[in-house]
Amino acid sequence: METVRAIEQRLGKKWVSISGALVATNQLLDALRASVADLDDPNYSIIVTGSLGRGEAGSDSDADWMLLLDGLSNPDHAAMTRTIEARIRQVVPNPPGSTGTFGGIVVSHDLVHYIAGTRDTNENLTRRILLLSESRALTNEIVRGRVIGNVLARYVVHDRSVPSKTGKQPAIPHFLVNDVVRYWRTIASDYASKMWERDRKEWGIRNIKLRFSRKLLFVWGLIASFSGELFPTPELTTAKSDDEYLRILSDVIRQQTNVTPLELLARVVEQAGDDQIADEIFTSYDHFLEVLAGQDTRAALQSVRFEDATSDQTYDDLRETSRKFREALVKLFFDKHQQLPRLMRDFGVF
Amino acid sequence: MRPIGFSTGALAKGDFACGVQLQRGVDGINAIELSALRDHELVPLVEALSTLDLSGFHYISFHAPSRLTSLSEEKVIGLLLSLPRSWPIIVHPEIIKTPSLWLKLESRLCLENMDNRKSGGRTLTELRELFASFPDATFCLDAGHAKQIDPTMAMAILMLREFGSRLRQVHVSDVGAAGEHLSVGIMARVAFSRLAQHVPSSCPLIIESIIGSELIRAEVRSVTAAFERWLSFDAPEASDAAAN
Repeated sequence: METVRAIEQRLGKKWVSISGALVATNQLLDALRASVADLDDPNYSIIVTGSLGRGEAGSDSDADWMLLLDGLSNPDHAAMTRTIEARIRQVVPNPPGSTGTFGGIVVSHDLVHYIAGTRDTNENLTRRILLLSESRALTNEIVRGRVIGNVLARYVVHDRSVPSKTGKQPAIPHFLVNDVVRYWRTIASDYASKMWERDRKEWGIRNIKLRFSRKLLFVWGLIASFSGELFPTPELTTAKSDDEYLRILSDVIRQQTNVTPLELLARVVEQAGDDQIADEIFTSYDHFLEVLAGQDTRAALQSVRFEDATSDQTYDDLRETSRKFREALVKLFFDKHQQLPRLMRDFGVF
Repeated sequence: MRPIGFSTGALAKGDFACGVQLQRGVDGINAIELSALRDHELVPLVEALSTLDLSGFHYISFHAPSRLTSLSEEKVIGLLLSLPRSWPIIVHPEIIKTPSLWLKLESRLCLENMDNRKSGGRTLTELRELFASFPDATFCLDAGHAKQIDPTMAMAILMLREFGSRLRQVHVSDVGAAGEHLSVGIMARVAFSRLAQHVPSSCPLIIESIIGSELIRAEVRSVTAAFERWLSFDAPEASDAAAN
C-alpha cells in the first residue's frame, strides 16, 4: 500500500487501522501459507478472498477460501478440501460464510465459460468477481494468475459483439464494466434479500460493510476496468494488431488484480491531486477498520437492532462516516479526477 | 527457410545418437538441439560430439542438464565451455546456484522461460530479474511453457516484446498440467500463431514434442504452419495442419 502510505505522510495523518490491518493480514497470510505449504499441486491453487485478499484482516476475520481447480479432475480433491479446511481453521478459527460460496472446490471452467447467460449463477458471479478484486493465493500463484488471465480474456479479448467501424479497439472493455456494475447491484440487492430471509439478523454489520468494503470492491472494479485509460503502458500504444492490443489490455487489467482495492483507489486519488478528497476517503475508511478491529465495537455492530439504528452510537457514527466516504468518492469519480468523470459518463451509466 | 528441427531428447530420451539419426536427412529439418537434460548424459554426449554426423544441420544448440545429481556446477561449466562457441547453450534458470560460474558462458548462455513446476523464470517479472543478473544472456522462448502459464499468450507476447533482441531460438511443444511435453494440437497451434509476428523468420524452432518417429514430418508441418501465419479455428490453414 505504498501510495496510501505516501498520501498519509504527505497529509501528516496517522491511519493506524489501515496500516495495522495490513500488518495483521500479512502475518495471517504467512501463517496460512505455511499451514498448507505441503498441499501444493500443479492442478490447483488454494485461494483466500475477503478481508485477507483486501489487506484488511484482523483477529476476528474469517477466511473465505476455495480450492481453485485448473487442471485434471481427481476424486481425491474432495478429501483435500477437508484437509485444507482443518489446516485453515487452525490459523483462522472463524468459519467462512454459511452460503456455501466458499470453503470448497471451485472449477475454473465455470468461472471462464459461464460469464453472464443462464448458467452464470449468483455464486459463480461472486466467486469470479472476488477472484479478480480481492483474492490471494496460499499455494501456486501461477494457477491463480492463469485463471484470472483466462477470465479477463473472456471479458476483454473475446468480447467483440459489435465490429469496430474505425478499426480502433476500445480501451474500455464494456463486458467487464457491465459485470462489475452487475455485481455491485447484485450484492446491494442481496443485502435486502438477506435482511428479509434472516429477519435482519446481523443487519448492522452487513449494512456497514455494504457502505465501505463492498463499495470499495465496486470502486476497484471500475478503476481496473478503466485501467487501459488510467494506467496506459507503452506496449498498448505500439501493439502490432487489434488482437495483440486486446491481449495486452487484458494483461494491464490483470496487473490490478495484484493490487489491493484501497491501494488502487489511492493511485487514482493521487492522480486527482485533491488532498481533501484523499483525507475524506482514507480517514473514513480507517475509522471503519478501527470499529471492525475493536472487539466491543464490532460486537455492538453485530448485535444492534434495526429499531435502534438512529440511537446506537456505534452504528450511527459509522453511518455518518460512510456518507463522507461516499461523498468523497462521488467527487472523485464525477468531478475532480481528470478522466474519471468522462469515463463514468460514457461507460458507467448508459 | 526457417531453421527447424527437434531436440534429440524429445525423439529418443537418453539416446542422443538415435535422436540425431531419426531427424537427419528428413525433408524440412535443418536445425537440431543436442540434449543432455539428465546430467549423466552430459559427459557421454560431449565425448561423442566428434563422432556425430551433424552435417545438414545449419543451426545447432545444446541443452544443458536441468538438474545436477552426479556432477558439480564447476564440472558442468567446464564441459559446456568446451563446446563450439557458435552453439547457444540452453539453460533452465533453476539450475544456476553460482551465478559467477554461468556468467563465463557470456552470450552463449541462453535462458529458457519455465513451466509451473519450477520456482522461477516463469513470468515476465521473473525473467526480467534473471536478465538483470545475466545481462549478456540470450533467450530461448519455450512457447509451451508460456502457454501453460498464460493460455491467452499475453505474457508470451510481452516477453517477446521485451526480450525480443535476445531471442535465440523457440522451443515448441504443447505442455500438459504436469509439465509433460506433448504433440502440438490445434489449441497450441492457434495460440502459437499469435506469436508469429514477433518471431523473425530466421529464428530457429526447436520442437520438443515427445512423439513417435512416424509423426516427425507431420509435427514439423504443424509447427511450421503455426509460426508462418495467423491461425484461427475456422481458418483453412488450421484445419489443413490438423489433417496432416
